[in-house]
Amino acid sequence: MALVRVELVKATKRLRTLIAFAVALGIPALIGVAVHSGDRRRRPDGLFTLTRQTGLVLPAVALSLMSAFFLVVIAAMFAGDTIAGEAASGNLRYLLLRPLSRARLLWVKALIAFVLTWVTTVAVTLSGLGVGVALFGWHPLVLPFGGAPLSTTTLLSHLMLATGYVAVGLTAVVAVGVFFSTLTDSPAGAIGGAVGLYIVADILDAVDPLGVLRYGLPTHYTDAWETLFTRGTTSHDLVAGVIVQAAWLVVFGALATWWFRRKDIAS
Amino acid sequence: MTDTIIEIDSITKRYGEVLAVDDLSFAVGAGEICGLLGPNGAGKTTTLRMLVGLQRPSKGEARLFGRTVVPSTRDLSRVGVLIEQAAFVPHASGRDNLRWWWESTGQSMRDADLDTALRIADLGSAIDRNVKTYSQGMKQRLGFARLLLARPEVLILDEPTNGLDPGEIREIRELLRGLASGGATVLLSSHHLDEVQQICTSAVVMDRGRLVTAGSVADLIGTHGVVYIEVDDAPRAADVLRALAPVRNVAVDGNGLIVSASGPRSDLVAALVGAGIRVETVTAQQRLEDAFLGLIEDKDAS
Repeated sequence: MALVRVELVKATKRLRTLIAFAVALGIPALIGVAVHSGDRRRRPDGLFTLTRQTGLVLPAVALSLMSAFFLVVIAAMFAGDTIAGEAASGNLRYLLLRPLSRARLLWVKALIAFVLTWVTTVAVTLSGLGVGVALFGWHPLVLPFGGAPLSTTTLLSHLMLATGYVAVGLTAVVAVGVFFSTLTDSPAGAIGGAVGLYIVADILDAVDPLGVLRYGLPTHYTDAWETLFTRGTTSHDLVAGVIVQAAWLVVFGALATWWFRRKDIAS
Repeated sequence: MTDTIIEIDSITKRYGEVLAVDDLSFAVGAGEICGLLGPNGAGKTTTLRMLVGLQRPSKGEARLFGRTVVPSTRDLSRVGVLIEQAAFVPHASGRDNLRWWWESTGQSMRDADLDTALRIADLGSAIDRNVKTYSQGMKQRLGFARLLLARPEVLILDEPTNGLDPGEIREIRELLRGLASGGATVLLSSHHLDEVQQICTSAVVMDRGRLVTAGSVADLIGTHGVVYIEVDDAPRAADVLRALAPVRNVAVDGNGLIVSASGPRSDLVAALVGAGIRVETVTAQQRLEDAFLGLIEDKDAS
């Protein structure tokens, strides 16, 4: 636990961690203000159509918009910095000059990257909720495709589930980022690698001829949670999405551990 | 016979086609201060990295306290290490860096020798400033403070006085002597040969990954020294000496000759007298630097 505490304090004292949190809090507010003050005669798309009904939808809109790129970059940043950041500052060798197993150090640093990613995702939801309720009120939601309206309690539980799913949906990015971080001494390279892989996965996911292969891509089930707000129901895709993320975690977690344990530390 | 604390046993390190360390062996006994010498690219840093488990040997093994070194070995808690430049978390204070480093293995700061560490660091109020505002010398002093937290029995130091001013270098010299007299074993690599001559009791000389020689500093200087000889006919004396096998270099300086040679000085004097040259003065210039350069030149010639 001592190592977890030390690494968590180190990470949260970084200016860019604080900036990431601030941006995660600020963007939902911007979206809310933009929707509130925008032209009401224009017909918005997707979740935006529901935003003005209740403030409980704004966090879902923010999650939908920010999970496509912003949260991916943030997750990649936290993950890519784990080992490569220490190597770039020359501090990695001193961490490893303590009787501290390399695997343990890696796992603790990966855990911190996950925690920071989850906290950022929760910050998006909380900010969206606060601003949404302030601007659009606390009301049930009438679904666009019919059915019983969703009560505020149901909306809150859907919001919690959506936040958890989006956070878990970033697992593959973090796992790949941590793996790249063990390969290079450049945090920017590791971050770029993780984001690049996500972009490639997103492109491949749009190539229909790939068929069932697309189901294993980390981006395939990214939006599966949105049915919680558009139809008021969950789908099997949520479970499939979690399984895919877990598979990427196992594969890249194992690769990162194997490589970091045998790596020569030259920086 | 002192106990052997550090052993490098037939160690080889290869990076693809490049042979960084080639079948190197040497040992350092308890309480010794041993200098690891060699030109750039000799393999000194790679050797020290293998000794502390940061890199794995391609062949052979390193041992500390008689046990084979593996990454993260428990024996590291008894070793203080400074490899190349001291490095820290730049956005945290010196004090936080010391605390985090120490507490990362679950130890309490109450068990650390913080007083000694802070005295050595001598950073005053700067200890609470972010490390990114430190000069290289301040970082190096903080690096010494960090390695002393654990009251180490062995110190492994790679260019430890880089970035320090003469006063700080003298303090570090006294510190190392004090630690050695208290029983600590020190292995240090340095380019400052005068510093090594002043601090070290023994030395290991490497070149291109291989061992050139190892022994006491006194022996190295004695067999590979430089001699100043004043004669009545310097140009002719220079010709006589250049013809001798142990002589590596002769420079004429007025009536004097600066001669770099291995072997006894009496052989040089005998050769000059035998050639009818009057020898006025013979003075040994006992400098490790000359001995070191002589050894490297000998190796190149062979």
